[in-house]
Amino acid sequence: MAVEFGKAIRKTWQTLASIKTGVVLLILVVIFSAVGTIVLQRPVTEPEEMRNAYSPQALRILDAVGLTDVFHAWWFITLMLLVSLCIVAASIERFPNAWRHFSRPYKYADEGFRRALHPQKQIAISDEESGLVAAERALHAIGFKPERVVREDHFSIFAERNRISEMGVYIVHASLLLIFFGGIVDGIWGWRGALNLNEGETTSSVELRDGSTRTLPFSIRCYEARQENYKDGTPKKWWSKLAVVSGSHEVLKKEIVVNNPLVYRGVRFYQSSFGFNGNVQKLVLEASPTAGSGENKEITFALNDMATLDADTTVHFAEFIPDFAVRDGQVYRKSNQLGNPAAHLVVNVNSTGKAFDIWLPAMEGVAENAQAPYQFKPKDLVLGHFTGLQVSHEPGQWTVWAGVVLMGLGLGFVFYVVHMRFWVVPVRDTRTGEYALWIGGSANRNRDAFEQRFNDLVAKLETELKKSVAMPSVNIETVAAR
Amino acid sequence: MARAKAEQQPAATGTTLIVLVGLGIAFLLFMAFLNVVKSGNILNETNLLYAALIFYAGAGALYLGFGVTGTESYVKFASFATWAGLLANTAAVAHRWYEAGHPPFASVYEMLLSFVWTLAVLTLIAEKKYDVKVIGTVTMPVAIVGVVLMQLLRSEVHPLVPALQSTWLHVHVTLAMLAYAACALSFALAMMFLIQDRMKTETFLAVTSACTVAIYAGILTRFEQWGGLNVAAWDPEQKSEIFLSKGVRLFVTIPDLGWLMMLTLVVVASPLVFLLIARLKKNETTVTFANQAVFVSILLQVMALVMFLIRARDERYPSLDAEGLFTTNLAANPFILSGLVGGVFISLLYLLLLWRRPDLERLLPNADNLDRITYKTICIAFPLLTLMIAAGAYWANQTWGSYWSWDPKETWAAITWLVYAGYLHMRVTRGWRGRRAAYFAILGFAVVMFTFFGVTYLLPGMHAYA
Repeated sequence: MAVEFGKAIRKTWQTLASIKTGVVLLILVVIFSAVGTIVLQRPVTEPEEMRNAYSPQALRILDAVGLTDVFHAWWFITLMLLVSLCIVAASIERFPNAWRHFSRPYKYADEGFRRALHPQKQIAISDEESGLVAAERALHAIGFKPERVVREDHFSIFAERNRISEMGVYIVHASLLLIFFGGIVDGIWGWRGALNLNEGETTSSVELRDGSTRTLPFSIRCYEARQENYKDGTPKKWWSKLAVVSGSHEVLKKEIVVNNPLVYRGVRFYQSSFGFNGNVQKLVLEASPTAGSGENKEITFALNDMATLDADTTVHFAEFIPDFAVRDGQVYRKSNQLGNPAAHLVVNVNSTGKAFDIWLPAMEGVAENAQAPYQFKPKDLVLGHFTGLQVSHEPGQWTVWAGVVLMGLGLGFVFYVVHMRFWVVPVRDTRTGEYALWIGGSANRNRDAFEQRFNDLVAKLETELKKSVAMPSVNIETVAAR
Repeated sequence: MARAKAEQQPAATGTTLIVLVGLGIAFLLFMAFLNVVKSGNILNETNLLYAALIFYAGAGALYLGFGVTGTESYVKFASFATWAGLLANTAAVAHRWYEAGHPPFASVYEMLLSFVWTLAVLTLIAEKKYDVKVIGTVTMPVAIVGVVLMQLLRSEVHPLVPALQSTWLHVHVTLAMLAYAACALSFALAMMFLIQDRMKTETFLAVTSACTVAIYAGILTRFEQWGGLNVAAWDPEQKSEIFLSKGVRLFVTIPDLGWLMMLTLVVVASPLVFLLIARLKKNETTVTFANQAVFVSILLQVMALVMFLIRARDERYPSLDAEGLFTTNLAANPFILSGLVGGVFISLLYLLLLWRRPDLERLLPNADNLDRITYKTICIAFPLLTLMIAAGAYWANQTWGSYWSWDPKETWAAITWLVYAGYLHMRVTRGWRGRRAAYFAILGFAVVMFTFFGVTYLLPGMHAYA
């Protein structure tokens, strides 16, 4: 029983670690992600839009299977977990071998290895030592650091470069796991919401994506928010001056713009929109009496304020419409965007009890501007704004960025760093008894370029050998004398 | 000199024809250019693009001529023309950059501008460094289609909306353009590998026919009853498409054009039918029918293109969704237009292969080399794709407060990445070489194209800029 169980586990493990499983899982991920981009997704799409796009039955089925929110459905997350597991298993299965390769480099080329290696070459030499010295010089010349390997009774040479390249693949896979891990952390502990803040207001509650509210342990205050436009009227820049209030004092102040958020205790505030909140902070008017006499008067008031024009007359700022249209003697609010603004004032004459509807600008059939005892000229208008902030908390994002950097590094090692090795072994022909230097090389990728390098090395070595032969014949004589 | 050439090329009727057509195109464009020069202001962007178009078209014709005749001197002139086109293109990019005050990556128009530029650069690199001389036969038509599309798209300089004012925009889009151009190159190389690998000409016919069938099937999704064809309406004053509501375009119906497209679909599908019959009956003569059908289909495709050009150009048509007549414009239908042009090119490429296969094989590097260069280009494309996605994620995190939102563009970028990751794994661990690898590279490029164009126009999402 225990044996069977162990066998089953082993079998599962091997299935997980196989490249076939990996490919099948990846194909599944691809298919489901593609479906997720074609079927409209909640909550990005409004419920009404969903109802328009699909019939009720279809929508019910799609909802039940989770196809309307693929990327948060349990089976998609399970799939991603399986992919992660597969990467882990495949890496564990293959890693020890690679690690052995990496931590204990193969330095002495034995006979079997020498026979199979390509590229390789043999050059005749007069004796071992001068050959090895020449090889060391040649290796130095092409930028390698040769080391002498002692094996039983003789020396050989090993030189390598960029051993880290062997680890590149594992670095990439580890970085993928880091990214997944960060994503999962954010999926569980992260949140996202939105916050609309009027100028001058302070709040600590954020409306989350799912409609619930979250209260922050500090509050955020907006001092001022503005939009700057290009000449053609399209928005150029939104900015808001924000402050973080913790307890009773401000701990942080920052002017944020799109692409440059405010961050406080892991909570990020992004500028996402800007708008007019329907309030008028200040309206400045010049009032002049209709009946000639009397001087002009400048009045300043906010919405719903009352101002006195003379002992008998008052004016009330009754209404402000950011974008108006007139139809059938009625003034309509076309939108809440600032487009075609109109101010509605009511002038009251106490003695007669008469009231006049003043519209700025004057609209025919609606406004009673001409009959009123005062005429008004707008001088200045200051509107209230709100700033639209996105708020998010992503505790896992640093893991994700670490993963991204690591992946960049890993891919660099995988594709652009070549592990190159050279072995130089002095050999002796058993029949003729002549000495020769065996040189072999190997590279884990880009083999043509490596072969070029190998030929360079051989050429360098040959010139080095010639040099040592051409040198004073003292050496040879001493050898002979011995 | 001319006589010597004629002696080298005894059966040169097809050759002369193609070269003459190429020269004719260049001549016409040159005359147009002269008119522009006469009107004064020479160094504006439109004219620079026009110049680029002329040179690219000339280069394309010469590459084609080289592909057909194998005359070495053509390729010299072709790469000279490519250099000239690249120069004009560079000037256009610089001009745009100067005018807009930001690198040209902010709209589909500007991205096409950069894409064509990168493609021309890569073509020259592939030619000089890797000795793939006929690559221009594939890439230059793509560049030409790109420049023609640019003429139709909105080209006014738009100031950057707040979300796009970031250095990361430039990093992200530069990487995307480089990656996509590298993918395009790997695709062209994979195709050449298949030629060199002695893949059957019939298989190519099946593939090219399937491509054109897909194009016309796609166009016919706009088929309207009584044989009309629905095309997007265009507001000439706003220079934009007309929207009924958010994301819903207004379509107008061009009468009878649907029938023509239907007929063309039948004819472009017929080689497939003939091939099938040939397979079943093991009858070689049916294959000749298939080849003749390709001929007929080219004529019909050209006719469909011409009819579309004539009828969809600033004329007024009724719509099913709204009262009255609305104008349409070529600019409103860039994908139908590029589909039609692309179909003609694909069929022409097949004819080139059919007629001059031995010459092509002689001119290309050997199959092993092509396979290796394809792999190398993907080794360049893949890290670029990775960095592109990473830069995009970082930028999204700064702008929207989330590094990954499963937006369709993001998701498809990830799918592209996965497909190429699959290619690399299969190659390294399973030793996939040759044909299977080439198919994979072709699939990868198809996904890239969908990510680049398809997602923007077909799927909803917040990557609305491009």
